[in-house]
Amino acid sequence: MQKSLTPRYLIIGLILIWAVYALLPTWEYENMSEEKKEELRTLGELEKTESRIIRQGLDLKGGMYIVLEADIPLLVTNLASTKDARLEKLIDSAREQSLSENQDFISVFEQQVKTDGLKLSRYYHEYGASLDEIITSLNGEADDAINRVLEILQNRVDQFGVSEPTIQKQGKHRIVVELAGIQDSERARALLQSTALLEFYLVKNVAVTNEVISQLDNALKGDVDLASSIKQDTKELEEKEDKSSTTVSELFGDQEEAPLDQSTKDEGSSDDIFLEAPFSGLLSAIPGDMGIDEKNLYAFRKLLKRDEVRSALENANGQFLLSQQAEPVAPNSPEKYYRLYYLEKKPELTGGIVEEARADLGSLGGGSAGQPVVSLSMNSEGSRTWSRVTGANVGERIAIVLDQKVHMAPSIREKIPGGRTQIEGFADLNEAKDLAIILRAGALPAPVNIIEERIVGPSLGADSISQGTQAVLIGLVSVLIFMLVYYKLAGTVADFALVWNILLVLAVLASLQATLTLPGIAGLILTVGMSIDANVIIFERIREELRKGKTPKAAIDSGYDRALTTIIDANVTTLIASLVLYQFGTGPIKGFATVLFWGILISMFTAVFITRTIFNAYVSNRTLTKLSI
Amino acid sequence: MRIVKDTHIDFMSRTFIAACFSALLIIVGAVSLITNGGPKLSIDFKGGTLVAVNFTDKVDINEIRSSISNVSIEGQKFDFSKEEIKHFGDETNVAIRIASLDNEPPRFANRVAESLAAVYPDLVPSEQNEFILSIDKVGPKVGAELSSDAILAILYALGFILIYISIRFEFKYAVGAIAALTHDVLITLGVFSVLGYEISLAVIAAFLTIVGYSLNDTIVIFDRVRENVKTLKGATIESVINQSINDSLSRTIITSLTTFLVVLILFLVGGEVIHAFSFAMIVGVIIGTYSSIFVASPVVIKMDKADS
Repeated sequence: MQKSLTPRYLIIGLILIWAVYALLPTWEYENMSEEKKEELRTLGELEKTESRIIRQGLDLKGGMYIVLEADIPLLVTNLASTKDARLEKLIDSAREQSLSENQDFISVFEQQVKTDGLKLSRYYHEYGASLDEIITSLNGEADDAINRVLEILQNRVDQFGVSEPTIQKQGKHRIVVELAGIQDSERARALLQSTALLEFYLVKNVAVTNEVISQLDNALKGDVDLASSIKQDTKELEEKEDKSSTTVSELFGDQEEAPLDQSTKDEGSSDDIFLEAPFSGLLSAIPGDMGIDEKNLYAFRKLLKRDEVRSALENANGQFLLSQQAEPVAPNSPEKYYRLYYLEKKPELTGGIVEEARADLGSLGGGSAGQPVVSLSMNSEGSRTWSRVTGANVGERIAIVLDQKVHMAPSIREKIPGGRTQIEGFADLNEAKDLAIILRAGALPAPVNIIEERIVGPSLGADSISQGTQAVLIGLVSVLIFMLVYYKLAGTVADFALVWNILLVLAVLASLQATLTLPGIAGLILTVGMSIDANVIIFERIREELRKGKTPKAAIDSGYDRALTTIIDANVTTLIASLVLYQFGTGPIKGFATVLFWGILISMFTAVFITRTIFNAYVSNRTLTKLSI
Repeated sequence: MRIVKDTHIDFMSRTFIAACFSALLIIVGAVSLITNGGPKLSIDFKGGTLVAVNFTDKVDINEIRSSISNVSIEGQKFDFSKEEIKHFGDETNVAIRIASLDNEPPRFANRVAESLAAVYPDLVPSEQNEFILSIDKVGPKVGAELSSDAILAILYALGFILIYISIRFEFKYAVGAIAALTHDVLITLGVFSVLGYEISLAVIAAFLTIVGYSLNDTIVIFDRVRENVKTLKGATIESVINQSINDSLSRTIITSLTTFLVVLILFLVGGEVIHAFSFAMIVGVIIGTYSSIFVASPVVIKMDKADS
């Protein structure tokens, strides 16, 4: 290989620089003090860093891992309009069979119904006439149920106050919740298993809202410490002051009261905004509502917890609630806002009154023909209250709140007497479907059971990290030293490649946002082994060739060439194994497979390509008679 | 430095002794597995509750055992003294494992931890967080699924490897490699059974690592065989394989030594959580190296003889 080495240098250089770049956030994060993390968190910038670091699995850092499963047999029982011993017996035996044979309950149920000859339409006439129709509907209901649970859990996870909670659907009827570093497992479990609370609150009108905002500004104003702390919490705000700081009147347009003079922009220096109008300084105008910039959320929540704010809201008989998700003001706009609502303190209606909620396209003849709508019906008690509330507040808005998150705040158009209500104004049918799910979420049709639960205490997590890291490091250093002693200069080259191999694997993990778990570390150890092995194979070959009397250069060339097929065969077989394990394995096995896959790919680059380049550079510029190997 | 000089060891004449040795290991393992009613599975696969707690000073397992023979949780009586109770890591830590129960009261695992705390109230750390080291609760259904997934994954992996080696080498080499892998996993399983170690998810990861390592080792030798078959025309398959093993012997020994060194350190200082994992690895590295020479190669010879 006498070709120019420059392209090789270039490739190696670029990849190594990329690795450093990809690992930098992890390095920074690990060396960051808690105070600094807290500071960044208030700025809303920590998440950005967190999304680029190597995450540690719960087995390493401690936390809670819960798998929930919807009780489908019970759901099917509950859906039947009439029940008798025959149906219940069938459901029971289908439940047992599906458990023992590890099969889907509904398909087992379908089979058993067929063999039994039971007429399902007797029990499920609302869900169709034929067996096929009913089974399809039951499957749909089961999916729906788990989606509702998912929705509820996503709403609640905020309350845990942990960084990066994950909630994922696993398979058809399971949900995996992972909460890192959770302190109070009892509370977490209670929150996960309790039923969602659906409430309807009246939205206070604009004049009242403006008044309370200016009251809050007055109560908080002039507090220098507070102003500087908010300022710090919202550093971002300064840079785009024009957009973000608004007067109260700007929030709603000019329709209502005079603007509050203290928060007008002629204050000049943006620092003063938080001194003069600490509360409204955090708000922004977004179409239709007030908004809170995603980045200011933490500062805003902190403000709401202050005693002055609490007592002012207590006196005004109101509360601030946020929408469930931050949304961009305009499509493709990078800034995202939470909608902010000022609501009555007491709900007008609470969950359990909704009997049915269904998303549809508006029927012909109505004002909303072809538009997505949600129709809901209420029980008689709910209908009565609903009729009174809607009658007294025509033109006002009513907020639909699930677990303290506002999902929508439609206007009341007219008095609704019979409970049959139609909600309009959705962007698409999916949005309507989501709201229908929320409205039904108050009553969970299928209870969820915790089928797997793992808690790793913080001290055990810390222990396993420190002991594991220590062991891996000692092992690594001994291997590095061995290579150095045994292969001298060539060993140094191999050591260099090995260190980069590990760094590159970690860099890939960081950019894949993969989680490093114990099995992942096992994969890393195997990678180190394979990488060292590749170099041992090459070096032993080179030594062999040298013994045959070849010159160092010729020995290196033929040593690499001959070793290459061996290395490729060995590595490809292991690659195949890792791919299969990734495809068929679950959780921990997947983690192992991911690390192994990348580890081996990268080791072919570092242990073969990089070391070869170094050797070539070493021999090309001189005439060597001896090789240090 | 050179550890291994040029060697001319006749490995293949010793295959009978090796076969006896392997057979002995496998039989001992199998007998142990049968008498124990299968491998000792952790709750990952069997389902159940595992609670590990941390006292501030050394505690006595027997005293704990006798103190928790009659625990009342929400009016339900439990006798935990028959359950598996042991030290976890060092003598200040205790782990208790309870099989899946049909009518588990709510907060069962925490209640179990509380009953353990009641045995040595003075030795409980003031922070509740520091007392509970870990809680694992796995439903029986999940456990069954996990084991079938793991077994399926390993079988698929073996199948694809068989295909690849058949294409790159020859079918007989593939059979040799798979025979060596199966041999390694069986013996490691046996060793675990004899020593009473549990098979947990981490151990499955170790098994996978062993499979990878052993495979690598076997392929390296086969690769030499493939090369030497071309250069040593007319030689018997035994002498070709002997030559190849000798050629790659220094590599085999160096790689095995370095890997062994790493897993040994892992075993000694890696801590309780990866104890079983690193133990499996130690067994695997030794068996994996041995099997490449004494299982994979003889199988290739046998198949070669059967062909001709």
